Amino acid sequence: MQFLNNYSNRELNIWAELILNIIVSLFFVSKIFPLIINGQFYSEALVQIILTTIIIAIIYSIIVFGTINTLTKREEKDERDYIYELKSYKISNNIFQISNYLVIGVIIFNALYQGNFGELTPPKIAMILLIIAVLSSTGKSLTQLFNYRKNI
Amino acid sequence: MKEQIIKNQIRRLRFEANEMTQAELAEKASVTRQTIIALEAQKYSPSLELAFRIAKVFNVPLEEAFQYN
Repeated sequence: MQFLNNYSNRELNIWAELILNIIVSLFFVSKIFPLIINGQFYSEALVQIILTTIIIAIIYSIIVFGTINTLTKREEKDERDYIYELKSYKISNNIFQISNYLVIGVIIFNALYQGNFGELTPPKIAMILLIIAVLSSTGKSLTQLFNYRKNI
Repeated sequence: MKEQIIKNQIRRLRFEANEMTQAELAEKASVTRQTIIALEAQKYSPSLELAFRIAKVFNVPLEEAFQYN
């Protein structure tokens, strides 16, 4: 409970988002590596992992965000919150753009050198999009937390 | 250009205003208590609008509440 008193409702929500990103990444990576090693990367197992990851994220969100917003008082955003939000979205957008350019680069490289990275199947595309989403969201949360903690 | 923080006298003004709490000031200035904490710690420069709102809460001129050196 002491932890809840030291942080505002907004900061707790950001922490929860960051932990969600870490859980999703750890779960996803731990499940995906055996598939890569066993050469089952294109199998239906990958679709199953992506679906499970999404379900875990939804259940976690309902429980954790629900608890935080029940136990702590929700505050209206003020100018400082908006400024930090903008800064974090800028970082998040940069990560998203750089990742997109990398993916475009891989697609072009793939076309030029006859599929060195393998065929971009729908599960593989979904996996790439999920990784980009987690990366940009983590960047956003870290920037926000850095700005909030810097000023305390 | 080096970032300069606008100095303020919020802590003193709160004390002189019957020891107004940070939460009370936050409510009157329509911001969160965390913003008042950051302002008092001289770690956040407010917008012009917020600076005027805070000065108005204490009923003092803007330059008495905030200084820029």
